[in-house]
Amino acid sequence: MARPLPGMPGAGSGLMKPIPDRVTLVGIRHHGPGSARMVRAALDAVRPQLVLVEGPPDADALIEHVGELIPPVALLLHDATDPANAAFWPFARFSPEWQALTWGARHNVDVRFADLPAGVSLSRADDADEVDRVVVDPLGVLAEAAGFDDPERWWEDVVEHSSAEPTQLAAAVAEAMTALREEFADTVDRRTLRREAWMRQVLRKALTEYDGPIVVVCGAWHVPALRELPAAKADADLLKGLPKSKIAGSWVPWSHGRLAATSGYGAGVASPGWYAHLWEYPNDTIPRWMARTSHVLREEGLSASTASAVEAVRLADTLAALRGRPSPGLSEVSEAALAVLCGGDDVGLRIVHEKLVVGEELGAVGDGVPRSPLATNLERWQRKLRLPASAAEKSMRLDLRRDIDRGRSRLLRQLHVLDVRWGEPDETTTLGTFAEAWTVQWDPGLAVAVAAAARHGATVEGAAEHVLLERTKSAETVAAAAEVLREAVACELVSAVTAARAALDRCAAAATDALELLQALPALAGTVRYGSVRGTDPELLRAAMHGLLARGSAGLPLACHGIDDATAEVALSTLDTAHEAVLLAADEEHSAGWWEALHRLVRTDPSAHGLPVGRATRLLWEDDRLDTEAVAIRMQRAVSIASSGTSFVAGFLRGSAVRLAADPRLLGLVDDWLTGLPTEGFEDALPLLRRAISTFSAPERRTLAERVGQGAGAAVLVVDDGDPDRTERLVEFVRGLYERAGV
Amino acid sequence: MTTPTVLRPSAETQYAEELAALAAADDKPRPPKWKLSPQAVVQYVLGVTLPDGTVITPKYVGDRRLVEVAVSTLVTDRALLLVGVPGTAKSWLSEHLAAAISGDSTLIVQGTAGTSEEAVRYGWNYARLIAEGPSEAALVPSPVLRAMQTGAVARVEELSRMPAEVQDSLITILSEKALPVPELNLQVQAVPGFTLIATANDRDRGVNQMSSALARRFNTVVLPPPATEDAEVEIVSQRAAQLGRALELPSEPPALDEVRRVVRIFRELRNGTTVDGRTQVKKPSGSLSTAEAISVVTSGMALAAHFGDGSLGADELAAGLLGAVIKDRVSDTVAWQEYLEAVVKERREWRDLYRACRELDPA
Repeated sequence: MARPLPGMPGAGSGLMKPIPDRVTLVGIRHHGPGSARMVRAALDAVRPQLVLVEGPPDADALIEHVGELIPPVALLLHDATDPANAAFWPFARFSPEWQALTWGARHNVDVRFADLPAGVSLSRADDADEVDRVVVDPLGVLAEAAGFDDPERWWEDVVEHSSAEPTQLAAAVAEAMTALREEFADTVDRRTLRREAWMRQVLRKALTEYDGPIVVVCGAWHVPALRELPAAKADADLLKGLPKSKIAGSWVPWSHGRLAATSGYGAGVASPGWYAHLWEYPNDTIPRWMARTSHVLREEGLSASTASAVEAVRLADTLAALRGRPSPGLSEVSEAALAVLCGGDDVGLRIVHEKLVVGEELGAVGDGVPRSPLATNLERWQRKLRLPASAAEKSMRLDLRRDIDRGRSRLLRQLHVLDVRWGEPDETTTLGTFAEAWTVQWDPGLAVAVAAAARHGATVEGAAEHVLLERTKSAETVAAAAEVLREAVACELVSAVTAARAALDRCAAAATDALELLQALPALAGTVRYGSVRGTDPELLRAAMHGLLARGSAGLPLACHGIDDATAEVALSTLDTAHEAVLLAADEEHSAGWWEALHRLVRTDPSAHGLPVGRATRLLWEDDRLDTEAVAIRMQRAVSIASSGTSFVAGFLRGSAVRLAADPRLLGLVDDWLTGLPTEGFEDALPLLRRAISTFSAPERRTLAERVGQGAGAAVLVVDDGDPDRTERLVEFVRGLYERAGV
Repeated sequence: MTTPTVLRPSAETQYAEELAALAAADDKPRPPKWKLSPQAVVQYVLGVTLPDGTVITPKYVGDRRLVEVAVSTLVTDRALLLVGVPGTAKSWLSEHLAAAISGDSTLIVQGTAGTSEEAVRYGWNYARLIAEGPSEAALVPSPVLRAMQTGAVARVEELSRMPAEVQDSLITILSEKALPVPELNLQVQAVPGFTLIATANDRDRGVNQMSSALARRFNTVVLPPPATEDAEVEIVSQRAAQLGRALELPSEPPALDEVRRVVRIFRELRNGTTVDGRTQVKKPSGSLSTAEAISVVTSGMALAAHFGDGSLGADELAAGLLGAVIKDRVSDTVAWQEYLEAVVKERREWRDLYRACRELDPA
């Protein structure tokens, strides 16, 4: 036997023992259709008594369910106490591991996983100091050396097309890998060595339990490490003291889109749809692919005739010949499709990539597979509400007057509370009071969120209620409590509504800051105003909102006093949103209280911060509760105190471009004020004024400039009177102004 | 043998030695009537060093895959359509492909708004027609018809400039590989080796949209503008040096720094933003292609050779730049002025160029 592998425990001790002949090592490329065929052929040839597959042994109990699965599926394993700490092992139909699993199920042969248990790999936090070295794709290295861009194509060309016996092929792969392992010895990290030690431990155990042939299906990279066994103690030493946590998990449906992302087996598959095609159609691969391509293009309304598909096949074949390949690969078919079927336009090619090369296939998991009570409950709801989990994005309009739509909305919102973001409500389109727009898309990764949420309860409703109750308990601010209340109402969870209401009262009582109270208004206003077709009593919310408003109004003037600029900005936006909420939902009596509060804010002496005062002045003026004369006076007065004048104007003007352009009174008011400023005051005012109008859009500013140009006020033009000295000074001055204003 | 001096020898003459060397070294199978194997054609276009030490210069700097798709298309006797914005080397590539495949890049139909159907199909020698009546001897074949008869590559330049009905006269030729001559009651069949390379640009004004019936009969390859500044600098300096030799300019080959400056100006104006992405600039109306950058550099070299000290500098570039950027008197002048003031002036090492441009156009 060759030299022992560098880094292997017991290397050089002379205790290495080759594995018995009845063990066949099949080195594979994860998710490689070529490898999948090799595995199937090797299993058919060897007819083993036991199959060992690279994978987490914690999941051995789940192997018996393979027959009830439709790939792509994934093993979801998570920490039993902390379900959010989870990992996936995805399997597609073309995965060699999957072929090994199903072969075992079909032939009633035992299959076991052989790799580091998930319990160990998931609690690797203590290994943080160990930097993962660059992981090489061994087949990728060989393929690159041979001048191929896609390792799978190289595998196809070199391995698949060879007429050797599958077992001999496996031996050849092992030879190549041993050579590679010696060359890349530096890149093998401690984790890999531990995994291989575990694989050997599993193999040792299997050798004592079974006396028939054994097939080991593992990554080609690991084959050299399994060809000979060091003393069992050496491996045991390497694995000693590894932390191990209790693991729970199940099979979950997976999708091709998810396969393309990174997975438990390291790198993801860039083109799962193409690989599935290679697996499914070993003959007529390219013609079938082009036929499917033109079909996809035609569905999108692009012209792609059968005659063109024929030409595309010819071009792909010729390209492959030109590049010296036995058959076209993905790059050849894509380039041919681009030139012939898409007319050089890559929009079509992108559609093909999305629909075919990656694909939208979603797997399924049978009823007999164990899952958390929450997941079972969710599936029951999905069936009942006729809302299947689909990988494709779908927009829907829910009419809340219909029971089924109301149920769907409730389910989606409850899932939202559980952080299972299956659907996103579209808040931008208003569909009136009884309809909602949703975008739903089931990302298989949500299985983690479902697993993580399972600890909260056995049903979606119960779990959501539990989460909301927890949140009401921990709510510290009025706004947080109000948000919980709003969600509880939307989820139609009565006891959560009651609890949130109590939490709101508690927080409101403790709140000393009027702004905090007012910030909670928007969350409630929408529901109060439009009522809710849901089963909650709207009066409950109305009373809560009015309570907040009354107390916030009372404290408003004081809250805007003696504050710094940052707080003033908060006050300004709070004022805006609260004002909207008041207009939307408050009754007569409480609205009056609000207006009164604004009046008091404007009147307070010594005056409060300019920003909120300026805004309050405008709100009052807009509603004709303050006449123009009074505003002019206030503006003049505010300006007389140089420091607060500018912030007053900023508060007054911000976000009022349209108004300013359309209302000559308002423009005149501002114009009079500006032209009336003394030189120094004007210089001070300019930067803040600019900041106030910097939020205006370019067209708004243009309109405004045109209005000013038309002579809204008494503009004085500075005319060059021929005095060069003065012109020079003027130019300097204007430039200075520009620099200060940051133009 | 002396080659008669011409201003611009066609590709097969200019690169006759390279073609001969490639043919000698080429051991791969050749499609019927092809002078080289497809692999050798790709090598001719992209450049390679042959085993015997002959250096084949790269003719096209860009994505290898595009050239491979183009050559494979011609192997499958499909017609090839090269599409791109002006100055992306469409005609250049088409000429070299024809030269390498058929050894003849002159079977060419130039598409204009006035191109008639006779230029694409066949015309008549009217003196003969009147004297002898319709006969094959009175027929004047178009370059396309000659390519069909000899099994060569025909070229159609600026296909989308032709009137649509003239474009469509290619449909029968491309799908049936035959051209009926109803006057003589015969049909000219194309012999193996015949294929067609058309170029079209999708940006310019005055373009006639191709009918989809015609578009279907082409394999389309889109030639992108050079992806990086370095690639473009390489193209410009290489081409300018070649052109300088051809024009027998006594000046030195262009300094790389000057070429880089021209390319950067062109790219920045084309993209509407400076390389560092900080400054937004107005886009002029012209296409500012790589081809125009080449001509700015060559005309600068000519200026330097005849009126300057022989080396290309800011003064020589300025005149060419102005002419290349300002195509529309009003709007482009504004764009150029802004660019000068906002970008060129700010770059300290570009002061000489700023001064030279200002002297030319002291707006």
